[in-house]
Amino acid sequence: MRVEYINPFVEATFSVLKEVLNAKVERGELYLKPSSHPVLGVAAIVGLAGDVEGRVLFDMSRETAVAIASIMNGEELQDLDELGKATIAELANMITAQAVTKLHDLGFRFDLTPPALITGQNMEVSSPNVEALIVPVMLPQGKLEINVAIRERA
Amino acid sequence: MGSVDTKAAEGGRQPRISEGREKVDFKMITFSVGGKEYGIDIMKVKEISKIDRYTYVPNGSPFLRGVYNLRGDIIPIIDLRTMFHLSVKPPERGKSENVIILTTEEQVMGIIVDTIDKVVGIASERIKPPHPLFNDINIQYLSGVVELGDFLYIVLDVDRIFSVQEKAAKPIEAALDENEAPSVAGAGASPAEEDESDVELGFITETLAAFKGFSVTPLNLVWVKGRLSEWRELRSSAGLPVQLSKAEEADDFLESFFSPYTAEFWDDEYAKKVEALLPEVSAGAVSAWNPGCGKGYETYSVAAILLRHYAKKRVKVWANDNDLLGISMAPTLSFHEEGVPKSIKALASKGRNGYTFKQEIKDSILFEYHDIVHPNPFPDVDVIVARDILSFFNSSNQASLIGLFRAKLRPGGLLLIGQNERFEDHAWHEVQKGELTGYIRLPDGESEDSPKRSEVK
Repeated sequence: MRVEYINPFVEATFSVLKEVLNAKVERGELYLKPSSHPVLGVAAIVGLAGDVEGRVLFDMSRETAVAIASIMNGEELQDLDELGKATIAELANMITAQAVTKLHDLGFRFDLTPPALITGQNMEVSSPNVEALIVPVMLPQGKLEINVAIRERA
Repeated sequence: MGSVDTKAAEGGRQPRISEGREKVDFKMITFSVGGKEYGIDIMKVKEISKIDRYTYVPNGSPFLRGVYNLRGDIIPIIDLRTMFHLSVKPPERGKSENVIILTTEEQVMGIIVDTIDKVVGIASERIKPPHPLFNDINIQYLSGVVELGDFLYIVLDVDRIFSVQEKAAKPIEAALDENEAPSVAGAGASPAEEDESDVELGFITETLAAFKGFSVTPLNLVWVKGRLSEWRELRSSAGLPVQLSKAEEADDFLESFFSPYTAEFWDDEYAKKVEALLPEVSAGAVSAWNPGCGKGYETYSVAAILLRHYAKKRVKVWANDNDLLGISMAPTLSFHEEGVPKSIKALASKGRNGYTFKQEIKDSILFEYHDIVHPNPFPDVDVIVARDILSFFNSSNQASLIGLFRAKLRPGGLLLIGQNERFEDHAWHEVQKGELTGYIRLPDGESEDSPKRSEVK
């Protein structure tokens, strides 16, 4: 993963999360993962195209997703319903979009795909031949992992 | 926990296994470590006890909690959570911990676990071998996986886990024996002295691995042995033991290992020697790979040489490192004038905070935060500069990395490793310029009868 891409994603993650959740957001240690990765339960995926190819995955447990969506909507959600899902997808979109805007300012051209939300048990995501940068984020609502796998176009 | 409720476990609590449809020929004690369930063959378990006081052993491995007096026998107590790199809650004062006392082929020892669960009997064919794709964990330590009720139990192979260190040390001793045999006869050294330096080498090997992740293998054995005899004199004149007892001493030991100009720009003379070894490239583009680039000094030096040597061609350098802090600075590296070689200064322009590299140089380098043991997706290259990084991988990774370098290099391409690292392989041709050694990748199917060297003029 190109060094220049790392900071925009980390910064965007924190500024967006702080803004929408209005709470203390703690960062875990960044690290790299080989191609496959288990998913905690709810995963929002935003695809990237342009100078690069890849995707950003926002991974959290169902409880965390419900808690985040509840705060963002200002009402207590009981389960991950349509509104909750749309909220999580929007959060993924906001973070990725802000990161891409920052990257645009640095001279990198990225396009986004609309976010897709995947939920279920025992899932695993694989991106063959691309290692992923993991940005663990500790929220009062639980753990959120941002998994960025981007490859330069050869 | 004084005893384990074996009756209950074998009785009604496990309906699925006690239905009698299968033959029970394997019993294991189950326990949890870091929230996961594990099992150990009961034949290896001597007893289970609660222990609250250990005697700390200075300079032991991180996972060695101490020794314990078990009715007159002194046994080591190992913290399985540390050994498996799981987080460990600091033990509460005066509170005892669950310990399983094991008898392995060689010795008796205790392992600390979170909780001890029960004894279960199963048919040994139910133990599924670990899937080869579990490359995150060392599958050699596992006998397999068993599903019981709602849980998956990982069955540990006790004999293998606790004899690893002896096994790891063996290849080196073997290599030592081979190399030393003739010289011992020639020098007439007594066997006792030889034994002592073997022990020292074994100790140095272990401590270098523990403190610095440096593995002593045939790749660097010549240097390590030379350095050890130098070190022995140095330490005895200072009245210190030969052994390394802390990370700083390991740093001192390794000080002379690193190639010239580590973490600084290469001076013009060194750059010329490297340039002399560069392969001829007929294509319009030249690419290089610089794993373990650190803060980027090496990468810019390599880029400078390539840009000068292949003046008309497009140059591309992939540089990566798994040290995030170091490599974050690399794309915008700035430096001051003093001591910087002319050839480097020529590529930079002066700004407010010292010199920074011109855009066309930056454009030719791609710095990536990347771990070399993960897939390396970029295309084939002409030059690989991987100085002093192989020694920081274990011997099987070293071999696979050399294989990877071969796979990534075009035929005729150049591989540069550390000045104190050497390997012998018939598929590579050694080239030399002064004290600098490089390896040329021979085309597939072509090999040399014996690894040859040639001097480049």
